Amino acid sequence: MLGALVCAVLLFVLTIVVFVFKEAWPSFQHNGWAWFSSGGNVDRQIQEIFTAAADLRRPVYTFHAWPIIWGTFLITTGAVALSFVAALFVSVFIVEFAPEWIRTILEPVVRLLASVPSVIFGLVGVLVLVPFIGEHVISDDNRRSVSYIVSLSGYSLLAGVLILTLMIAPLMIAVFSDGLRSVPRGWLEGSLGLGINRWRTFWKIGVRTARPALVAGTVLATARALGEAVMLAMVTGGVAFAPNPADGVIFFVEPTRPLAATILQASEELTAPAMRHTIFAIAAVLLFSALMLSLTGWVVKQPMKKYGVRA
Amino acid sequence: MRFVTPPPVRRLPLAGEQPATVVEPGAPGGAVATSGRRLQASPMAVERMTVDRMSIAYGAKVAVDEVSLPIRQGEVLALIGPSGCGKTTLLRSLNRLTELTKTASMKGRILLDGTDTATLEPTALRRRVTMVFQQPNPFPMSVFDNVAYVLREQASRRPRKRALQGAVQSALERAGLWEEVKGNLAHPALRLSGGQQQRLCIARALAADPEVLLLDEPCSALDPISTQVIEELIVQLREQVAVVIVTHNLQQAFRIADYVAFMYLGELVEYGPAEQVFGAPRADRTKEYVSGGFG
Ligand SMILES: Nc1ncnc2c1ncn2[C@@H]1O[C@H](COP(=O)(O)OP(=O)(O)OP(=O)(O)O)[C@@H](O)[C@H]1O
Ligand SMILES: [Mg+2]
Repeated sequence: MLGALVCAVLLFVLTIVVFVFKEAWPSFQHNGWAWFSSGGNVDRQIQEIFTAAADLRRPVYTFHAWPIIWGTFLITTGAVALSFVAALFVSVFIVEFAPEWIRTILEPVVRLLASVPSVIFGLVGVLVLVPFIGEHVISDDNRRSVSYIVSLSGYSLLAGVLILTLMIAPLMIAVFSDGLRSVPRGWLEGSLGLGINRWRTFWKIGVRTARPALVAGTVLATARALGEAVMLAMVTGGVAFAPNPADGVIFFVEPTRPLAATILQASEELTAPAMRHTIFAIAAVLLFSALMLSLTGWVVKQPMKKYGVRA
Repeated sequence: MRFVTPPPVRRLPLAGEQPATVVEPGAPGGAVATSGRRLQASPMAVERMTVDRMSIAYGAKVAVDEVSLPIRQGEVLALIGPSGCGKTTLLRSLNRLTELTKTASMKGRILLDGTDTATLEPTALRRRVTMVFQQPNPFPMSVFDNVAYVLREQASRRPRKRALQGAVQSALERAGLWEEVKGNLAHPALRLSGGQQQRLCIARALAADPEVLLLDEPCSALDPISTQVIEELIVQLREQVAVVIVTHNLQQAFRIADYVAFMYLGELVEYGPAEQVFGAPRADRTKEYVSGGFG
């Protein structure tokens, strides 16, 4: 019975994966490895694929996804790195150092934040953070210096990273603090009883023991960051522009758009086959990244378990 | 501040000092049960800690009630008493581990070399007064790292592995674990047997080089031969370290302790030299308990 259930679930997952990759194939086939490279404007390419189908011309497949891949990478790593550091400190504080009353307030708040729908985060971003960046962070000089390629309005990589950090940090904190809490008291007391101070004890024994939970939380949060579409479509500017580190500080306030948000924006135009294949190709890349992410998490966790489990 | 009164006999091996009855670990275990006291009381006992009318309660429940005791270097003090009488609680209060329990509240004073332990930094106190717990709690690391942990943490600069080797080996030898683990020091400590884990914890505590060693039933999971190794270690250690041991094994208390404290329901019923407590107990409670144990 249980076996059948497991098989059904596996079959379901496999069907989805096969379906997505099958639908994606023509787009990869037409572009080859160039699919992943840069070349031209992604938005214009999508437009071209769409109009060619609408005008009943020969289907166009040309698509170079680098800007949106790069944008996804930047936003995800930025947000995951920021929230990892923040979440680690907050969860160590919650579990080990916070007085009881702070803990009883903080924990439900964190869990609530973890469950707030992303549209709401997007709304806050659009109403608060984006105008702030537009007015106080970006100077007229900045605007002028890159005006020939992109317009800076506040909808930016920075806004995306910050709001995304706010969104995934609670998730990480929840998983991290569960992990830290389940570290056996005896190990911590053993270290304290040897005269090692609380910080060192918690760092060397607590955090070290909870490393698998840190990995699990990071994988979960990264998956959510990769898949986030609505909020990022709202605050990052909605142009498939690749922020250029060579631009200096302006880099952070340049607009961009990740893979998932691209799918969201193009999803009304799925009717044309060429369009559908292109969108599915983007989806396939996302799916592949998610699979790789889980795999990496699993691989990273293995050596950490070496000393932990009783066998 | 730490060494207002320098410990007089610490780390000074007495001339010609040899435990009188070093039994080969391989000797028949049956001898342990019948052998009497290991050593005569040490000639140079120095008071290191003083427990002064200590009361400890968990919430409203009083676990230790107005206990006063001296703890001397050069002697082994055994805490005995039925389960739940507050032995562990008293032991934990000696290096302020009780503070980690949120509900615990304390009254009274504990002095270490004349200084109230409440005024010491807990970390500094625990460095000098080190605890081996009732449940073996090796860290989820290799055997080597378990012992090296405290050495690394106490060093101001992280020492090389090579530099630690000697200290780790000597600690493991003294705890009687070296022969079993020397082939594979990278073995995960949690995969040792319960008794090996407990000896590893003792080795870990020895590596910390304490002045007072608190042992909470260190032999409860050990076979007779390992028990004997630990008992000999304790007897040897008492010249350099003040040793307090909690034990349910009255034979063991009789074998190794110079002084015995009998606790009952949180109260210290009787405290005195081992011969007196076991031979001519003053309180009826003690008589009952001791005769039960030897009956
Ligand atoms: N963390 C705690 N919270 C509340 N009560 C506790 C706690 N720890 C111990 N107690 C209570 O304090 C009393 C003394 O406990 P303690 O562990 O000191 O006994 P013990 O003499 O060490 O017993 P044993 O020989 O079984 O180890 C017991 O009645 C126990 O229920
Ligand atoms: Mg106990």
